[in-house]
Amino acid sequence: METFTLLLQGMATSFEFLNLGLLIFGCLIGLFVGAMPGLGSVNGVAILIPITFIVPPTAAIIFLAAVYYGAMYGGAISSVMLGIPGASTAVATVFDGRPLAVKGEAMTALTAAAVGSFVGGTVSVILFTLFAPPLAEVALRFNAPETFALMVMAFATFVGLGGDDIPKTIFSILIGLVLSTIGLDLITGKPRLIFFGIPGFLHGINFLVLAIGIYGIGEMLWTLEETKGKVQMSKLSVNMKEIGKAFSALKKTFMAMNIGSFLGFFVGILPAAGATPASLMSYGITKQLSRNSKEFGSGVPAGVVAPECANNSASTGSMLPMLTLGIPGSPTTAILLGGMILWGLTPGPLLFTQQPEFVWGLIGSLYIANFFTLVLNIALIPAFLMVLRIPFAILAPVIFVLCVTGGYAPTQSLHDVWLMLLFGFGGYMLRKLDYPVAPAVLSIVLGPLAEKAMRQSLILSDGSMGIFFDFSSKPIAATIMYIAIVLLIMPAIGPLYRKFFKKA
Amino acid sequence: MTIIKKLALVVVSLSLVAVSSVSSAKPFSPKKPIELIIPAGQGGGADEIARLVQGVIEKNDYASKPVIPINKKGGSGGEAMTYVKKKAGDEHTLIITLNNVLTTPVNQPELGIDFFNDFTPLARLITDTFLVWIATEGKNTAGINTFDEFIDLAKGNGLVMGGTGSMSEDELLLGMMRGQFGFDAKYVPYDGGGAVAKGLVGGESDFTLNNPSEQMGFYQSGDSKALVMMTPERNPAFPEVPSSYELGYPDLEYYMMRAFMAPAGVDAEVEKYYTGLLHTVYHDDEFQTFNIDDGKLMSWLEGYGLKDFLAIEYAKHGEIIKNFD
Repeated sequence: METFTLLLQGMATSFEFLNLGLLIFGCLIGLFVGAMPGLGSVNGVAILIPITFIVPPTAAIIFLAAVYYGAMYGGAISSVMLGIPGASTAVATVFDGRPLAVKGEAMTALTAAAVGSFVGGTVSVILFTLFAPPLAEVALRFNAPETFALMVMAFATFVGLGGDDIPKTIFSILIGLVLSTIGLDLITGKPRLIFFGIPGFLHGINFLVLAIGIYGIGEMLWTLEETKGKVQMSKLSVNMKEIGKAFSALKKTFMAMNIGSFLGFFVGILPAAGATPASLMSYGITKQLSRNSKEFGSGVPAGVVAPECANNSASTGSMLPMLTLGIPGSPTTAILLGGMILWGLTPGPLLFTQQPEFVWGLIGSLYIANFFTLVLNIALIPAFLMVLRIPFAILAPVIFVLCVTGGYAPTQSLHDVWLMLLFGFGGYMLRKLDYPVAPAVLSIVLGPLAEKAMRQSLILSDGSMGIFFDFSSKPIAATIMYIAIVLLIMPAIGPLYRKFFKKA
Repeated sequence: MTIIKKLALVVVSLSLVAVSSVSSAKPFSPKKPIELIIPAGQGGGADEIARLVQGVIEKNDYASKPVIPINKKGGSGGEAMTYVKKKAGDEHTLIITLNNVLTTPVNQPELGIDFFNDFTPLARLITDTFLVWIATEGKNTAGINTFDEFIDLAKGNGLVMGGTGSMSEDELLLGMMRGQFGFDAKYVPYDGGGAVAKGLVGGESDFTLNNPSEQMGFYQSGDSKALVMMTPERNPAFPEVPSSYELGYPDLEYYMMRAFMAPAGVDAEVEKYYTGLLHTVYHDDEFQTFNIDDGKLMSWLEGYGLKDFLAIEYAKHGEIIKNFD
């Protein structure tokens, strides 16, 4: 009951004139930074931090949280309309969002993204409201061995991600893993795989550079070849019938919404993971568990809903360790955390009792921000659809420019632009040879997380792999690990199992 | 025209030239946005100070052009230092330091960075100190209340220490303590001071050597406690924590410096301008209050004093690294 009173007070706080104005403004900025390739929530929030010194901390966090939130919605727009991931959190949205748009169902894709984001965001903020303290305890007990087990589980689901050709999928995962080891050794800090001593490799391969290259440039080359430049996007009209069709397509995405919301939230509250792995993992798991998993990748609404649900859910989830433990659950919350310290707050176990107005103002604002971004998004869909009316001869150079700026923006180095072009060409070749590229993208995100967690665990156990399988000392890690093994061998034994039963 | 007149003309024109050359050396002011390079990731301690400095400058209009922080975290600062080295003579680039500017040139000689000739030190604003932290309810450290008890425990048992990554300040410190007190620990690297603090309270590690601000939340909630602060005097933010000098270990003294440097080869006027700008920031009330509350030491240093300090610290770090392996 007390929680409820505090929540109502928090919502009332966000309806104050300054706060509400900043909230709407923040959502709009977020939509923009999310939709611009290369400008994600991390950059958006970092750029805006100094502005927040002129308003009270509660207004400041409401504003920045709205930017964070809006960016989760915005990323889907360029993923669907241009085939370029608007932000790292929206890479998984390209997998099915782009094919839907190409099929002439962009309306369905955008509606699925907006509604999925709303559902994910709302479920997670309710979980946050009700269970913050016990969940903080879970996050505290989730250490290196548990994280590694979770990553193994994620990889296991991805083996099924690239269609039925398991060797090619594993090849693609390995390419991603090799690329993810470039840069600094995570434990010793020594440079490794610095090709030709080029200093640009010191910061490693930025995940967005790979994703924009493969999807933006690769897709452009592919479309040019397929159509010889004469791309005919199907004509789109926005009327009630189309809108009704888009919403009815969502009926089949119930499972995706559940997986996206709950898995996203859970991954979000784990330190250092964040919305990008959450969206990729929930895509993989939804696909594995779906009855029509073969259709994933060719444009199914559930493939858009799962990652979009998860990235919003995870972004809310990642605020939980930030507020209760003072550790960031994602790169963006790392910056928010810095902001909180600059505003004179001490994140940590005492924040809820010492600064209730701040904490509940933020939580209350998340409910409202969710609602506003949904309304904004649905209202703006006709405007986004205009992009499809642009002839490809004009659109292709625009996509190219956006890809180049998107590759440049995260690290501000030209080195990454060349790399992106290289990946674009490489991705195109892989596609021509019928290799799945999504697993490579996934493993460059999860590779460093998995490597670090594994090496930390092995330092703790003096090199014994037993630390991951010991039920008595690490029950959570062991449970996840065994589930992962079952998932991993499922695609291998699945066909055998069916064959056996058919014969019998 | 007489010779005298000619001479007078020459003198007049020469003095005109002199006057005009003096006026051309008018005070520098930035003509475009100032890049502030951060040799670490977003959300860390250096990032925090860089963005605070940016915020204070922007809020009070201390500079005519905006300051733009850019994170270049690759290679333990190697990427950032290589970048600034290439910017020699650039009047719109600054770099904020962590101690990795002292260790990376030694650890990664292949980068070819000459710490003393590739940068123009401007000013040191803050020094941050380190403490030995244990969890209040640690499974291996239960009942430990003083640093001496801790040393005895650590000597007998291989404790686990959480730290912020290889060759970072806290791993060097562990190396220093190994030499001084004869105990060793298993070093587990995490992503940043916040994660280190969480690992301690979550029971994965037994102790940490964190900065004050990194452990502040858990300190205030009573989940972790500090045994010693590595400074000559106590810190007002942690009144009950003894200093290493009090405990009779004056060799256990270590600081992280937050200084600013420009690339090599900038004009004296440029150096003067940025040092003045930093000085204004340093004396800003908001800047002072924030850092003091956060347990940091306000320690302005510029000019020859700064150069001496850097030379001593550089040598000291070289010594620690040499004894490390």
